[in-house]
Amino acid sequence: MFIHIKSYVASIFMALVFLSVAPNNAYAHGEKALEPFIRMRTIQWYDVQWSQESLKVNDEVVVTGKFHVAEDWPRSVPKPDAAYLNVAIPGPVLIRTERYLNGQPWVSSAALKLGGDYDFKIVLKARLPGRYHIHPFFNLQDAGAVMGPGHWVEVTGDAATFTNSVKTISGETVDMETYGLVNGVSWHVLWIVLGTAWLLWWVRRPLFIPRFKMLKSGNEDALITPLDKTIAKGILVVVPLFVFGAYAMTDSQHPNAIPLQAALDQIEPLPPTVNNGAVNVKMIRTEYRVPVRTMNMVAQIHNYSDQPIRIGEFASANLRFINPSLDQPGKNEEDTLVAAKGLVIDDDKLIQPGETKTVSMAAADALWETEKLDGLFRDADSRMGGLLFLYDPSGKRYIASISTSVIPKFD
Amino acid sequence: MATTKLLDIPPQPYTGEKARLTRAYDYLILVLALFLFIGAFHLHVALTVGDWDFWLDWKDRQWWPLVTPLMMITFPAAVQAVLWTNFRLPLGATLCVSCLLIGTWITRIFAYHYWNYFPINMVLPATMMPSALVLDVILMLSNSLTVTSIFGGMSFALLFYPSNWPIFGLFHMPVEYGNAQLTLADVFGFQYIRAGMPEYLRIIERGTLRTYGQYATPLSAFCSALLCTLMYPLWWYLGTWFATIRYVKTI
Repeated sequence: MFIHIKSYVASIFMALVFLSVAPNNAYAHGEKALEPFIRMRTIQWYDVQWSQESLKVNDEVVVTGKFHVAEDWPRSVPKPDAAYLNVAIPGPVLIRTERYLNGQPWVSSAALKLGGDYDFKIVLKARLPGRYHIHPFFNLQDAGAVMGPGHWVEVTGDAATFTNSVKTISGETVDMETYGLVNGVSWHVLWIVLGTAWLLWWVRRPLFIPRFKMLKSGNEDALITPLDKTIAKGILVVVPLFVFGAYAMTDSQHPNAIPLQAALDQIEPLPPTVNNGAVNVKMIRTEYRVPVRTMNMVAQIHNYSDQPIRIGEFASANLRFINPSLDQPGKNEEDTLVAAKGLVIDDDKLIQPGETKTVSMAAADALWETEKLDGLFRDADSRMGGLLFLYDPSGKRYIASISTSVIPKFD
Repeated sequence: MATTKLLDIPPQPYTGEKARLTRAYDYLILVLALFLFIGAFHLHVALTVGDWDFWLDWKDRQWWPLVTPLMMITFPAAVQAVLWTNFRLPLGATLCVSCLLIGTWITRIFAYHYWNYFPINMVLPATMMPSALVLDVILMLSNSLTVTSIFGGMSFALLFYPSNWPIFGLFHMPVEYGNAQLTLADVFGFQYIRAGMPEYLRIIERGTLRTYGQYATPLSAFCSALLCTLMYPLWWYLGTWFATIRYVKTI
């Protein structure tokens, strides 16, 4: 019995040791956890790129990309009146030094407009060595996190060489890693010493049973000595005086101190890139065939541009279904979220300028299931959305944001 | 001679083996109390004050000085009720705050810094020690729940912001960053990435205190002081509720 308990305790101890020393690599950031209709019909990411995937401590990696804010925003998700473009990494292993939305520096939260087009840029500076999976993602107030695509980045070098200086408006250069630490710890130590002295002053005496007995026998006056009272009066006078003195001194040292900043940034969308009028796509019917993991979509496409166009790609919730018969840039076929031959079109011919054509598309891949998007028809809002990419012969891209209800087919 | 007199302890009813045993009991209770309050009070503060105490960029002028004393006067009041009523020990508040600080510092160093890589200066905790000392001595000198509720509760709240400004004031230096004016504390929040803490989650500088111009802090502190005078007796009675002398009546 005793041996069992010992081995049980030893196992728990070993598990704790393993957990505490195990490499802290995050292999996922909950990107599949959010309901499919939110991932498909809120922030529609595309063209997300990383400037490099191997860097040293203090080097920078720049994450750029674009997103469209879906017009068919789910009814159950609050509108994006406060949104924050964040980065999913395991803590500040890289720090965010710059962030831009539509070319405008962006440090706070901002409202996004439905149907708006945005491009972003995030500059990250490597702080701690390791291999990290980095996603840009949006925190949407009262809605949750909508993940963008992820990418592995390897940081090498010595963490001790990391530097991060910031210059204040008054011209003082501050080392963010250590600024104010000695001062803060010193104040804490001072107060802890005083508090401990007060505790020891009492704890050195017989405490509970003797004091309780004396109190109950009417001898409580003997428990608090005149010296105790004198010290207490001293504390009552000296502590507040010292506190307000230190406060006034700090105020005089930092006369330009300001409150925390709580403003929302105001950033307008770009001129329309998606649904900009060149191509109009109207979804007629969409079925998801469960056994073969295929989304069959019938769409009526009207080409308002002056060039013939073809469908090249359908993207939804970071999955990309590529039409293999069309040569197009940025296929990125080795990406695990790309179905390189995943989009099949029944009548894959050019749609002429001014022509309206009804097209059947099949977006087929196991990714629907592995990325947990096939749960859509079990959601309270079983509509899907995504971006349809069309190209003219010169390679110019036209993008349509589509949305449609989905009918499951169990065959 | 003077030192001997200074350190003289008041008389006690026991001598010899009884005195030794009661002292051993003291140490037993103290050690248990230490771990109990480190765990319980730290958990209470983490759940109620939470982010306001965790992060530099949550320590604002309105909510931080309102919420922190109000939530931190709770355990001190309850423990004072037990230790003062039954033992005439005026150390309940200081004991609770000391235990809280032990738990807080362990967490900030091991969980926030070593485990999650935040620089410690970004997660410096606030101190309530001056407030706790004053609360203890007011109870001791007044021996009155009413006086301690009013003056102790008010002091507890009013001393909070000035006690902590020497620690955190320098993080409010203005910085030009991203074409905007931020404090250094805001820059910490922007640079050191918290995936679960978007900027808009911060409950800071919200409310109607701005109608009094730029002097939000004293108003917030006085509001907290008023609420602390009510919170103190509430938790005092909670303390007396949970403490019983049913089993020690015959001592």
